[in-house]
Amino acid sequence: MHSTSAANTQPQNDNPDIPSSAALPDDIIDAAITWSIKLDYNEANEDIKRRFEDWLRANPMHAVAWERIHSLRHSFSDTSAPSAIVISAMEHADQQRHQSLLKRRKTIQLLSLATLAIGTGWLMRAQLPWQRLTADASTGIGEQRTLQLADGTELILNTDTAIRTDLSGENRIILLLRGEIMVKTGTDMHHAEKRPFLVYTSFGKMQALGTRFTVRLATEGALISVQEHAVALYPAQSKASYVVKANESRWLRESGTEPANLQGMDAGSWVHGVISGNNIRLADLLAELARYRMGHISCAPEIADLRVSGLFHIKDTDKTLQFLAHTQPISLSYRTRLWVSVGPANTDSDALL
Amino acid sequence: MSKPDLTLHQEVHALYIDHYGWLQGWIRRKLGNAFDANDMAQDVFMRLLLRKQPVQAHQPRAFLSTIAHGFVVEHWRRRELELAWQETLASWPAPEAPPPESRLIFLETLIEIDRTLDALKPMVRNAFLMAQLDGLTCPQIAEQIGVSLATVERYIAKALRHCYALRFEP
Repeated sequence: MHSTSAANTQPQNDNPDIPSSAALPDDIIDAAITWSIKLDYNEANEDIKRRFEDWLRANPMHAVAWERIHSLRHSFSDTSAPSAIVISAMEHADQQRHQSLLKRRKTIQLLSLATLAIGTGWLMRAQLPWQRLTADASTGIGEQRTLQLADGTELILNTDTAIRTDLSGENRIILLLRGEIMVKTGTDMHHAEKRPFLVYTSFGKMQALGTRFTVRLATEGALISVQEHAVALYPAQSKASYVVKANESRWLRESGTEPANLQGMDAGSWVHGVISGNNIRLADLLAELARYRMGHISCAPEIADLRVSGLFHIKDTDKTLQFLAHTQPISLSYRTRLWVSVGPANTDSDALL
Repeated sequence: MSKPDLTLHQEVHALYIDHYGWLQGWIRRKLGNAFDANDMAQDVFMRLLLRKQPVQAHQPRAFLSTIAHGFVVEHWRRRELELAWQETLASWPAPEAPPPESRLIFLETLIEIDRTLDALKPMVRNAFLMAQLDGLTCPQIAEQIGVSLATVERYIAKALRHCYALRFEP
């Protein structure tokens, strides 16, 4: 399949000055690679082949370099599987390695949180006994996980999330390190008096006032959306607390709180495996979908402002992207399984008319 | 057995007696598995014998754990790849998947490919695999992955230079 006339050329390494293991100058290796790309990895014409023969004869070292580089053409070629399955396996492996890297980062993050606690005092020892935070849980990208805590609380971890919990003290404490959680607070029936339920983030803490709510960490703050009852927010470096009521969303930042705009998307619909909403900018929807998949979704500026409404599944983001491509004037191109470019619909067929 | 071999054997034997238990514990903590730790500790000492160089380590435990660390990393890489391979097979359309009898052999090839191409960027690696495994030419690859011909040629050149260095520049 790969044969060219060059492949049949057997350069004779009969020059006694060049042992077969000799190191060669870089420029000769690079020249041999350039020839190999022309002859072994492209359809070469007669002219190229002739010029190659001249190069080959010009210097005995050229022949040695060629023999070595040309021999690489067949590395792995006895593999009976097609490249697609190998690439897919490699990408799965990349993904796993990426996950274990994230796990290591989370550990580092936790350590730096501890440092922060000492440094700024926002996590006073009396407030948050982080050294007693024993249980921890996390999810990878695209995963969700439901945890039942001993006090009856249900915690749902969204994609790429890490938490620590401590239910052993006077307060019930969740430390959100990364990602997003939904909390349905439990009755704490094993304790004579119901203990306060607190969620800590690096931007401040919040106290549940008997309730169901979501907390999502972003780089600029924590986004709290309340589904039932209310949650009190306490910024880390301000006394301006605020009570968020049902169906409200609000940013918690170090220095205060402010109302949040969810860009048409419903908070907490991820619990049901979907992004739901009305009149969502396509660019915002794609950015949201990207949280649930490894790799990259790029969005062309021409289609960024398209508006979409409805339910978009997050369990199989490839299917959701295909669905969008069917219903919107957009097209998808997969660079690899992990890298999708979303652009305007292909108008080639129109051009032909 | 020649004289230097004999000395090496005595040296390794002494290391084995003094540090085998410690090394096994060290590896077990890394792997969380006593069974694999036993095998791996044996492999570390085997490696020392095969090197045919005097050990002469001033800090034998640091020395042993450095070698063992290499084995542990290799072990995890292999496990990750095995898992990735199973995931891929599970999600692959049945008629196109390799037959069960060749899957294990294929895993070994995969490990070899991973070891060889690990240092390359995913795009470079993917383009090179398409060339090597499917026998595609640069223009065909360019069309499939949606980049320019010059880019694909640069990817292939990078991969070839890398493979050359591994094979011919030890």
